[in-house]
Formats: sequence, C-alpha cells, structure tokens
Amino acid sequence: MSATPVKEAGRPATAQRAAEAPAKGPSRGSASANPPGHDRPYLASEKDLAPLGLHWVDEAERPARARELLDKMRHYRRTFQMYMDVCTHCGACAQQCHSYLGTQDPKNMPVARADLARRIYQRYFTWTGRHLPRLVGAEDLTEETIEAWYKYFYQCNECRRCAVFCPFGIDTAEITIAMREILAYLGLVPRFLTSVGSNVLRTGNNMGIPRPALLDTVQFLEEEMKEETGKDIPIPVDQEGAEVLYNPSSSDFFSNPDTLTGAAKMFYAAGISWTLSSEIIETANFGLFFSEPLLRAHSQRLIRSARRLRVQRIVAGECGHGWRTWRMFSETIHGQLEFPITHCAEEACELLRQRRIRVDPEANPQRVTYHDPCNLARAGDIIEQPREVLRQITLDFREMIPNREKSFCCGGGSGLLMDEMMEVRMQLGKAKADSVRATGAEILCAPCAICKAQLPLVMEHHHVPVQVKGLLDLLGRAIIL
Amino acid sequence: MPTIQFGDVQVEVDEDGFVQDPKQWTEDLARYLAKQEEGLDNLTEDHWKVIHYLRDYYQQFGIAPMIRKLCKDTGFDLKYIYELFPSGPAKGACKLAGLPKPTGCV
Ligand code: SF4
Ligand code: SF4
Repeated sequence: MSATPVKEAGRPATAQRAAEAPAKGPSRGSASANPPGHDRPYLASEKDLAPLGLHWVDEAERPARARELLDKMRHYRRTFQMYMDVCTHCGACAQQCHSYLGTQDPKNMPVARADLARRIYQRYFTWTGRHLPRLVGAEDLTEETIEAWYKYFYQCNECRRCAVFCPFGIDTAEITIAMREILAYLGLVPRFLTSVGSNVLRTGNNMGIPRPALLDTVQFLEEEMKEETGKDIPIPVDQEGAEVLYNPSSSDFFSNPDTLTGAAKMFYAAGISWTLSSEIIETANFGLFFSEPLLRAHSQRLIRSARRLRVQRIVAGECGHGWRTWRMFSETIHGQLEFPITHCAEEACELLRQRRIRVDPEANPQRVTYHDPCNLARAGDIIEQPREVLRQITLDFREMIPNREKSFCCGGGSGLLMDEMMEVRMQLGKAKADSVRATGAEILCAPCAICKAQLPLVMEHHHVPVQVKGLLDLLGRAIIL
Repeated sequence: MPTIQFGDVQVEVDEDGFVQDPKQWTEDLARYLAKQEEGLDNLTEDHWKVIHYLRDYYQQFGIAPMIRKLCKDTGFDLKYIYELFPSGPAKGACKLAGLPKPTGCV
C-alpha cells in the first residue's frame, strides 16, 4: 500500500501541519485552528473543550465578551483588582522573572505581563482610563489584545517569584491565573491542558489510567520491590480503614516509579497502614492553571475518596501546585475537614524525627542538590522539611543559589509541558540550569512531577550533567527495611 | 485536525502526528509513520516486538504501560529503546503503535 500525505508529498508531516496553520494568534479562521506553536501552545478544538463545559466564542464577539469577563473577574477576585490598582511600575520585579531572563522578551517582565491586563482594566474600569486613556496608557480591548494574552499568559509559569521581590507583594501569578480563566471562557485553552483536564474528569488522574491498568502496574512494582529487597512491601489499593490515603502523581505509574516505591517503603518501614484510591491517583490539580470548576471537582473527588475509605489523614505525593491546592484551598472549598492533609516531605521528616524509620546515607554517596518546586517553597510551606530529610539520607548535600523562596522555576510550572513549546520551555529553564550547574551536583532532587518532566530536558539542553530524582526516590534507596 | 491520506483511507492525526483513532492502525501505517515521524527506513524484529507489546497492552488496559514494565517485558533497556525509537518510548514507540499520546506530567 502506498501512502501520500494530503498536501505536498514528501514533506514531513509536522512541517505540513505547521505550514497549514495561520501565522499568528488564536484565530480559528481557516484550515487549521492552530498557530505554528513555537511561542504559544496549540489551541484546543471545540471537541477538546466540550468535556470541560467550555466553548468557542466567535472571533467577532470575543473583545466584548472578554471585557465582560474582566469586569466579573475584578469583582470576583479582590486581589486581582488590587494588583491592577497598586502597581507603581517601579520595575523591581523585572529582572526576577526567569521567563524574561530566558526569553529576553520585554513583555515577559512581570510588570509588562500584568500590564497586558492592566491597560484594559484602566481603560474600562477606572475614571482616568475612561476619560484620559492616553495619560495612563490605557488601551482599547481588541483581538490583538486577546492574542497577546494567550501568548504571554502562557509564557508565565505562575511561579510567584516576582511577588517575593515586589515591594507591594503583587503576585503576577494570580493575575495569570485570572487571565487564563478568562481565556478559557473565550474558548482559548491549550490542547495539552484540555487533554489532561478531560482525563482527570474521566479517571481522576492526569494520564487517564483506568483501574485495571493501575492494579496491573501496582502488582508489577510489588514484584520489583520483592526482587530488590526480598520483602513483601505492599502497595494497597482501595483499602478501607487504612490510616493514610496516599495521593501520588499519575506519572509515578509511567515514568517515576521510584517515587511511588519510595513511599511504599517508607510506610512499610514505619508500620503505617496506607492505601491508594483508584478514584484519584493524582495530587496535581490542573484546574489551578485554567479552570476553577475543574479545580473544585478534583478537590471534591479527593475528599469524597478519603471519606469513603475512612482514612485518618491524606498524604500528598510529589507535586508542587497540587499541594498548594490541597493545603491552601481545601478548607475554603469544603469547610473544616475531619482529617489533616499533609505532604510526603513532612511525613518523611516527622518519621525520621520520631525515629520510626532509619536510614543509611551511604546509599546516596553522590553530590546532591535540591530544587525548591515553586509551589512548595512559595505557596505551600515546604522548605526546611525536605532539606532535613536530605541531610540524613545523602552524604554530600549542597544548596544551590538562589534557593528556598528565591529559587528559580524549572520552566514547566503551570502546566507548560507541551511539546510544541519546547524551545520556549528550554529558555524558561535556563536560570535553573545555571543554578544547578554551579553546584557541581550529580543528582538534582526535585520533588514535583512537573519539575521531574521538565528538568531532565532542561539540564540536557543546557549541558548540565545531572540526574533528576524525587525526594522519596532517594529516601527509598536509603531506608533500612 | 490534520489528516494523512493513506491508501484509500484518511487517517486523522494530531499536530504531533499521533493517530486519533487507534482502530485505524495497520502495520503499513506503522511503517509509514516510522519513516515520516522517526526517520526510520525499515522496522526490525525488535521494533515490532515493542510495537506489538504496546498494542497488546493498550488493547487490554486502555493505556500505555509503565516504561519500566515495557523494558522488563520486552527485555530491552531504556537506552536500547531510544536507539530503536529516537523520540523515546512515549513520543516515538507509542506513536508508531497507534496509541494516544501519553499526557500528564511526562
Ligand atoms: S515590583 Fe511590583 S510595583 Fe514594581 S513594577 Fe513590579 S509589580 Fe509593579
Ligand atoms: S509568576 Fe513567575 S513566570 Fe510569572 S511573571 Fe512572576 S516571576 Fe515571571
């Protein structure tokens, strides 16, 4: 059988797809809905949007609709309105954003990014902007505005580093979150995010792993651990009455199995009964990146599962932003809960303090450095716990600079893991690569699934010879069983 | 959504070249994708072993297997899988096997 592509036989399929696409912007005019994809993500189609209850808005109606949504947003999120009002354009944030440092695109300075929304906000919702728009640089909302929103709010990792340096504490990540929500209601969402979102609604996890596959993988990992340690270390699933519901990352079942077996070994060694829930094997909550309803739905699923399994606490796995949603938003969404939600780094740290687990640092003789996932260090109070653990399970731990709340993002944060953004992603990771290179580390510990997907590519691209591992991966090696 | 004309059927693929309907997969389509997407002129017995393993797993479980399991069950280490499929097990091998693109934090 012979095969010919529809157009221009002989050219690689990807080049054709790019060639079919319009030159710029989120316009859905002609043959293909998608831009070339070098500097912005591929757009979801109407079909991709449907499971999330989102729809395309006609191009002609978009500016008016965007204005309405902006008006709603400023009332709904008071911080958003405050951030719109108080910026003095002092510029203190400019050099602190790895997105600007890596891309050298001035629109990626936090203040410039926020101004893409602020100028419109001023134009329609402030007295000076309405009457003297030029005085404050206020601008009309047009299709170009929306194109710029789509591009630049998807070159922000929502890392919150800018907020650490802004004298007013303006958190541009919050502005990005609000603006992506507005874009979503205009039907403008990266296809990568809708594909994850619909997997989450269907299966409770990002990868879309169904229960039989979960059980098969768990059995495989139990056998692996038996081979490695000679012990029967269980990975229980749906076990009612267990003490702990452990909520991992679904990537643990695909590319990061040592994180999951590290957790299994920790609970086994400490004598803690635990379980996974086949309803939710995902700490990540991509709703934070574009859809508050999705965020709430995933959160409800977690709490429902914990109640059904009658556990005493939930332990979150290695994920940064998901942890932020569990720790910071759970009680806002559900009211006071009858059980605590803790993080696996807190759990490991506490078990070491109580001497309920013992470790041998000789198991990790390499030089190790620690990457603070943004949402752990700047949005989730997990800073010292992983360090306390690392100092006990490794022989040569070095801090990178900057670190803790000043750490740079990996460049994949807020779900910027789509392939078509690879070039931009590598630019976004440059600041981190420089920090890691200076430590001379052989192992880069990064307890977040997004970081673990992004950092190996970034390190290879920027020629930093380092292996990326989770915290529980290293604990699993060091733990004495 | 882009399509490729393959013989007398139109095969829908996404922007990354992943076949949208796994039922449209044939060995000939795999050979075609191997050339177009991975630059492979022919597929060896080892390529087919990986491809058929992935397809069987997908048919049974509705998802791609854990990479470590793929390695163990085929007897090929990850390095060798990358030699076979330059874009790797997820973006290379799964694509040729007609599986949906593994998505999530990967
Ligand atoms: S540091 Fe704060 S006030 Fe200064 S320009 Fe940046 S966001 Fe505005
Ligand atoms: S949140 Fe991070 S990526 Fe976004 S503007 Fe601030 S520093 Fe830059």
